[in-house]
Amino acid sequence: MRILLVEDDAGTAAEVARGLTGAGHLVNHVPDGRAGLMEAIGGGYDLLVVDRMLPGLDGLGVIRALRAAGVATPALMLTARAGLGDRVEGLDAGADDYLAKPFAFAELLARVHALGRRPPLNAEPSLLRVADLEMDLLRRSVTRGGQRIDLQPREFRLLEVLLRQAGRVVTRNMLLEQVWDIHFDPRTSVVETHISRLRAKLGEPSLIHTMRGAGYVARAPDA
Amino acid sequence: MHKETPARWWATTGFRITLLHLALTLLGTLLLAGIGFWASSRFAVQQIQAEIERDAGVLLNAGRLGGPASIALSIEARIASDRSGTQYFLLSGPDGGRIAGNLAAAPRSAGWATMGLDAATDESVLLALGTPLPAGHFLLVGRDLAPVRDLESRLIGAAGWVGGAALLLALGGGLVIGRSVVRRAAQMERALAEVEQGRLNTRLVARPGGDEFDRLARRVNATLDRLAATMAALRQVTDDIAHDLRTPLTRLRQRLESLEGPEAEAAVAECDRILEIFAALLRIAQIESGARRAAFSNVDLHAVMETVAELYASAAAERGQALETDLAPGVTMQGDRDLLAQMLANLVENAIRHGREGGRVVLALRPGPEITVADDGPGIPDTEKPLVFRRFHRLDAARSTQGAGLGLALVAAVAELHGLAVTLEDASAASPPGLRVRLKA
Repeated sequence: MRILLVEDDAGTAAEVARGLTGAGHLVNHVPDGRAGLMEAIGGGYDLLVVDRMLPGLDGLGVIRALRAAGVATPALMLTARAGLGDRVEGLDAGADDYLAKPFAFAELLARVHALGRRPPLNAEPSLLRVADLEMDLLRRSVTRGGQRIDLQPREFRLLEVLLRQAGRVVTRNMLLEQVWDIHFDPRTSVVETHISRLRAKLGEPSLIHTMRGAGYVARAPDA
Repeated sequence: MHKETPARWWATTGFRITLLHLALTLLGTLLLAGIGFWASSRFAVQQIQAEIERDAGVLLNAGRLGGPASIALSIEARIASDRSGTQYFLLSGPDGGRIAGNLAAAPRSAGWATMGLDAATDESVLLALGTPLPAGHFLLVGRDLAPVRDLESRLIGAAGWVGGAALLLALGGGLVIGRSVVRRAAQMERALAEVEQGRLNTRLVARPGGDEFDRLARRVNATLDRLAATMAALRQVTDDIAHDLRTPLTRLRQRLESLEGPEAEAAVAECDRILEIFAALLRIAQIESGARRAAFSNVDLHAVMETVAELYASAAAERGQALETDLAPGVTMQGDRDLLAQMLANLVENAIRHGREGGRVVLALRPGPEITVADDGPGIPDTEKPLVFRRFHRLDAARSTQGAGLGLALVAAVAELHGLAVTLEDASAASPPGLRVRLKA
C-alpha cells in the first residue's frame, strides 16, 4: 500500500515509517498539515495516517478539507487525546479510525491493514469463509464442515469481525470497540476468555490464532 | 451536582419585599391615622371646652349682676334656644336642689369633669365645668361629647378606607417589585445552573447601563470569563503534557518492542504500566474538572450493564463464579456512556477478584437509578468502610495501592461526576459478609 504519514514528531514518524516499510508498504512522510493536504489531495495514496495535533493546519482540518474536496482515501487519525468527545469529533471530521497515543505498533499495523483493505460499502459479502468454516450473514448461521454451530449473538459478532479481517491481525482493542462498543482497556483479560469459549465452540483444529502482543487472526490451521 | 428544589413562594425575596413593603405601609398608615385621630379629637374637645368656658363666663357674669335668679333666667333662655340639644346646665341651691337647668342631679365638684347622662337610651358622655357660687349655690355647664365621638368614628372609618387602599397599593407595588426581582434572580439561577453542568460558555443577560442586577450579572460574567480562560489554559497544559510525554513514551515503547528477549518484554510491560497509570491520572483529572458533563447524553443503563455483564461473564466463569444480573429495563440517565461503562467494569472486576471462588457476583439496576454490584468475598469491616471511601478520593493512596486504587479512584470520580452517591455495605448477614457497592442518584 502507498501510505502518507502526516506527523510532526520526527521520532514517532521515523519509527512508524520504519515499521510500515518493514511490513512491505511504501511510506511517504510530511511533517505538517498544509504539506499533508497538498500531498494527499491528488488522491494517489491508499491510506492516510494523520496526527491530530499538527503545527498550522491540524489533523482535523486536513481531513475535513480532503473530504470537502471529494478525496475519500481512508484515514487513520493518531492522537494524544482520546476522550469520547475527541473521538467523535475525529470521526465526524471524516476520519475512518482513531488511535490514541501511546499505541503498540502492532495495533497501528492491524488498523492500517483493516482500513487499507476495507471493501467498498456496496460490495458487502454475505458469506464469510475460512477453511471449512462458513458464516452466512443473511441467515445468521455458522457451519463447520457442514455441521451447524450455535452461537450467542455476541459470539456471532466476534467471529464476524475476525472473519471479515481473515488472514489479518485484529487487536484486542479493535474487538472491544467493534463487538462491545467499549473504548477503554479492561485490566482483566476478558477478550481472551471470550476467544477461548468461541474456539471451544468452533472445535479442532483451531481457526483463531493468538498473535502474542498483537491480537488474533482467523486463518486456516496450516497457513 | 447539587439539585436545587424550586424556590417556595414564601421563601422568595419577592415575597419578603412585598411583606416588608406591606408592613411598612401598614405602620405608616396607622401612625398617620393615629396622629390625625388624636389631633382631631383633641381639637374638637378643646373647641367644646372653649364653648363651655364661654357659656359659663356669660352665666357667671349674669350672676354677679343679678344673682341666681338672673342665672336661672339665662339658663332657661339658652335651653330654649338650643336646637342641637347638646347643651346641659344645672343651677343648684345650697340644699343641692335644682333651681334651673336640664340636668337632674350632678356631683358638686369644682373644675372639669366627665359624667354619664342618666337617660338609659342615651350613651352620651357629658363634659362639664363646675363652678361654686356665693351662698352655697353651684353652677354646672356641660356639653354632650356625642359630636366628638361621632367625629372619631368617622375618622376611624376614613382611616380604614385609606389604610385599605394603601395596603392594596402596597401589595400591588410589592408584587410588581418582587416579581421582577424573582424573575431576574431565576434567570441568573438558570444560567449559573448551566455553568454548573459544565457549559462554561453560558453568560448572564446584562443590559448596558442597567440596575444593580445588570451590574451583578456583568461581574459574574467577568468571573466566568476568567474561569473559562483558566479552564482552557488547564486543558491546554493537560494536552501539552499528554502530547509531550506520551509521544516520547510511545517512541520508547516502539524501540523496546523491536528488541528481543524476556528483559525487553518486561521493559515493554513496565512501559505499558507507566502509560496506563499516566492515562488513568489524566483521565481522573479530566473527569474531576467536570468538563465531560458538556458531552452528557441519555445513556441506556440497562444496555450498558448488560454489555459489561456479558463482557465479564466468561472471566467470572473462569473462577467458577456466576455473574448474575437483575436489571430493571428502560432505566436511563444523563451521562457519559464510556465513563459509566468503565466505572461498572472496574466494580465488576473488583467483585470478581475479591469474590469467593465458585461464588456469585450480582449486578442489579433499579429505577432511580440505583446500581448495586455485590460479591460474596471477605467484605470490608464496618470500621474500615469509611476509610476505604476516603481512600477513593486520595490520589496518593491510589498511587501506593497500584492499579486497584486507581480503579476505585476512577469509580469515585465517575460517580461524583454523575451525581451518584457511593455507599459500601455488607452484601448479606452470612459469613463471609461479602461487599455490596451501591450507587444511587
